[in-house]
Amino acid sequence: MENSIFQKHDRKKRMGPVELPLGVGVLYVGVDVGGTFTDAVLLEKGFVRAMAKVPTKEDLLSSLLEAFDRIIRQGVPVELIKRVVFSTTMITNLIVEKKYDRVGLLIMPGPGLSYKTYNFPTDTYIIPGAIDYRGREIIPVDLSEVDKALALFAAKNYRKIAVVGKFSSRNNAHEVKVERHLRGKFPDWHCELGHKVSGQLNFPRRVVSTFLACATREKYRGFIRSVQEALAQRNIYAPVFILKADGGTLPLSYSPEAAIETIFSGPAASTLGVQALTPEGETSVVVDIGGTTTDLALILGGQPLLSSKGARINDYLTHVRTLAVKSVPMGGDSVCERVGKEIIVYSERMGEPYCLGGPMPTPTDALRVLGLTMLGDEERAREAMNMLGGPLGLTNEEVARRIVSFVCDFIAREVMLMFTQWEQEPAYRVWEVLQKKKVRPSTVVGVGGGAAGFITQIAARLGCSPIIPPYAPVANAIGAAVARPTLQVSLRVDTEQAIYTILEEGYQDQLKESHFDENKAVELAKMWLFKRIAKYGLEKDLKEVEVTRREVFNLVRNWVTVGRLYDVVVQSQRGITHHVGFEVSNDGA
Amino acid sequence: MMGLKKTGIVFFPAFDWAISPTHPEREERLLYTRDQIFEEGVLDLPQILEYPPRLATMHDISRVHFCVPRVQSRVTEAHLIAAGATMLLGDRIITGEIRNGFALVRPPGHHAMRVVHGNRGFCNINNEAILVDYLRRRHGIKRVAIVDSDVHHGDGTQDIFYHDPDVLFISFHQDGRTIYPGTGFPNELGGPKAFARTLNIPLPPGMTDETFHYVVDNLVLPVLNDFQPDFVINSAGQDNHYSDPLGSMRFTAQGYADFTKKLNPHLAVLEGGYAIESALPYVNLAILLALAGEDYSNVREPDYWPGRLQENPERSAKVRQMVDQLRELWQKRNAVDVEKLFGGGRFYQRKKRIYYDTDYIDEEQVEKLRLCPSCPGYLIIDSRADHGFGHPTRAYCVSVPFSACAACHQEAYDAYEEGKQMSGYHYVYLQDKATDVYYSYDREKRQEWISEGPKMDG
Ligand SMILES: [Zn+2]
Ligand SMILES: [Zn+2]
Repeated sequence: MENSIFQKHDRKKRMGPVELPLGVGVLYVGVDVGGTFTDAVLLEKGFVRAMAKVPTKEDLLSSLLEAFDRIIRQGVPVELIKRVVFSTTMITNLIVEKKYDRVGLLIMPGPGLSYKTYNFPTDTYIIPGAIDYRGREIIPVDLSEVDKALALFAAKNYRKIAVVGKFSSRNNAHEVKVERHLRGKFPDWHCELGHKVSGQLNFPRRVVSTFLACATREKYRGFIRSVQEALAQRNIYAPVFILKADGGTLPLSYSPEAAIETIFSGPAASTLGVQALTPEGETSVVVDIGGTTTDLALILGGQPLLSSKGARINDYLTHVRTLAVKSVPMGGDSVCERVGKEIIVYSERMGEPYCLGGPMPTPTDALRVLGLTMLGDEERAREAMNMLGGPLGLTNEEVARRIVSFVCDFIAREVMLMFTQWEQEPAYRVWEVLQKKKVRPSTVVGVGGGAAGFITQIAARLGCSPIIPPYAPVANAIGAAVARPTLQVSLRVDTEQAIYTILEEGYQDQLKESHFDENKAVELAKMWLFKRIAKYGLEKDLKEVEVTRREVFNLVRNWVTVGRLYDVVVQSQRGITHHVGFEVSNDGA
Repeated sequence: MMGLKKTGIVFFPAFDWAISPTHPEREERLLYTRDQIFEEGVLDLPQILEYPPRLATMHDISRVHFCVPRVQSRVTEAHLIAAGATMLLGDRIITGEIRNGFALVRPPGHHAMRVVHGNRGFCNINNEAILVDYLRRRHGIKRVAIVDSDVHHGDGTQDIFYHDPDVLFISFHQDGRTIYPGTGFPNELGGPKAFARTLNIPLPPGMTDETFHYVVDNLVLPVLNDFQPDFVINSAGQDNHYSDPLGSMRFTAQGYADFTKKLNPHLAVLEGGYAIESALPYVNLAILLALAGEDYSNVREPDYWPGRLQENPERSAKVRQMVDQLRELWQKRNAVDVEKLFGGGRFYQRKKRIYYDTDYIDEEQVEKLRLCPSCPGYLIIDSRADHGFGHPTRAYCVSVPFSACAACHQEAYDAYEEGKQMSGYHYVYLQDKATDVYYSYDREKRQEWISEGPKMDG
């Protein structure tokens, strides 16, 4: 997140490592590697023991080492660190700046939507072959066409290929066949398969997700190497995890499989941080006011809201599940202008606030005049207000109050809109439609440099209580530190065809059990989840699992039930490992 | 004005609602349609906007139906959601937020008639009719056309608008002598006040897209062009598909999509269609793409190949003949001597027998229409429903049209009051569309319910 100078300056004053004697409890480390800053915290028994904010440099290793050295000072027993969790915007930034590797696309869409609709970001070759929604082959895959495609890709110097078929999550045979063929011809090429990247329905999103996974894999491995090197140099041998966009974590060493799931883990970290820093079970809005944008997130009954659809990045729609974070164009550096007798705040940034030497009046200048921030030069701030209010005969304070009020109205409106949009999400079952009731927040939690000046008024407009948690500026790193590992298994069974698939593993097999039923489906899904947990070495962390979806459909032919479809999703407990205490908050300020 | 706007869709598969576990109208019916539509990613297309459904109210249903004994006893929440979905899309189309819409919802409704004693033809309430009367009440829409492309005759919709000069109902379907509900012949043309506002084209089994489009090009489109409706609805049943287990027609997904493109309806509402694997995923996708103005030429059924479906030339020649006759009749509709056809006097009366195939109810109706010189006239229905265990249920229903004259309005209220006094009836109803107030009276309990609905706010 680029939170601009607006936070940067404020933080200098408020932050700095907390000098407290360490207990002998378990330690947690959270590190958020952002585009501009790398934030790190050291937690002990739910208390913040140290925090750091260092610039993210080209040489990632040195930034990480610097952050470690600031939070893990002499005498801190590194062997007591139980877990280190990273979150990063690195992959997001790579994608936004298009600094990823070249990837050729081999797709098998078969009949359906016109190919003209597809607008994928690279050379795309369409191979004949089709699978239907139940995984039955409609058109066999044509390997001679694959040969032609590979020759073309080779001529164009592609060495990485993403292979994606429509309904490949229902039957991966075509993708696997193409991969095998490709490996036979070009053993050193890298090949990424759609069904391994995403088991969810939506072919175009699967294509984009697979493309991005393939294109960022090497760079992501580089990130992991830097992290491992930094940890080794500081003798930290605790289990290391990486935060995903949905707020769960994965062991770092397994994460290349799911690199693109780290897209937008930055906002997820902040939201989890706020969750950790506020009382349990509340319904709150997280308002993170930065320089140019304000990020809004919802915590409903203590759990961060997940977005119903995958993330959009660079106008490409993916399958990456994220926490529902909405960015609105309003922040401390937004430009204020006089229009007739009105004073309007625009959704754009022209530079720094006037009080910091910028060209135009901004909400930051208004806060400075009202004494709600100590940022910048007070005289210049007054000058900025006078530029706007002078011709209208308004005092500087009146102008400042109008600006703050404008910003608060704008953000409060966006919050309400976010709740309405959430209520407007599709429902496909009678009970889902009936249970949709109006949920409204009880607290507004302010994070980010501008929070202090605005949050009280925003909360008042929404009829909520305002909270500015301690350590708000490093909420992201705290969020990373407390994020729970989460694993999920989605099982789909088609008893008529006697096959089952585990979407997350890209695994499919024959169903051997003859008297299959719903309970057995749940057992099978749980068995696979525990297998997955064991694979990641998380047996100690993940004991409780819950069934989050359980659907049974009868397959009927001529009024006789000939089989059943089972869709079962089981996952380990989501959320945070613990809340972070408030006692030491004063020491931090 | 509607140039670049979007296509709205409410997708409500009601995954937790079925008539019975193996009934064609069951949970799984739209499962593969969901799979296809989700996997294709069409809901991500910028010109398609998905809305969650909303619930219709009891009041909205009373505007159309006489539910015996009460609305609550004849509808489930799933019905309210399906009807509500069409209303939601109707609102958005009228306000101009979207150009057209697709209510991809279940349960269906086109067999539900004005009087509802139970479920017939998998339908309890008529989603399209509820929308039409809602649009007229809420948005002041005058003329509506409903084109029913289900393999079964849309007898419920026909029944509801049979005397309504402002609603044109055209249904083409498999010949009633070979399929449920056994009606929908060319001589069913609407009542004396709405002559030729009902048009039926029964098709012999085995007809393909060729005859389908002959009917569309030579009857449906020219008639619509003459009628100039403000709002066009397609009852988009898909059981004319060549793989449907209930119908015997041979239409394809491409045939349906071409039809949708030509008809260009404001709203398509899913009706029947029970080839849930081999037809629905493809037909629904093709219809949605056609509505959105997208290229649908790459949509095809896995087992289809060009030339696969042939039709009997003699049979199609007969259809062409019938189409030409109906078109001639339509052109001469204003010259027809209605009095000679229906008789004169104060009232026009007809008897009907209605069978509820799902609930095994036998209903007899005597329908009396006031032949008013200054308005479409109010309607009285005397209904007697035999549930098969003796003691038939009798209902006396009075309906006042939107554009009723003052005299008819008064007479209808008098008829209702009289009805309340008549022994032999269990339930008496007054449906006053003109003022949007609906009365129902339980004679045994001597209790009256009045539904005034929400106050209009312009
Ligand atoms: Zn039908
Ligand atoms: Zn009259």
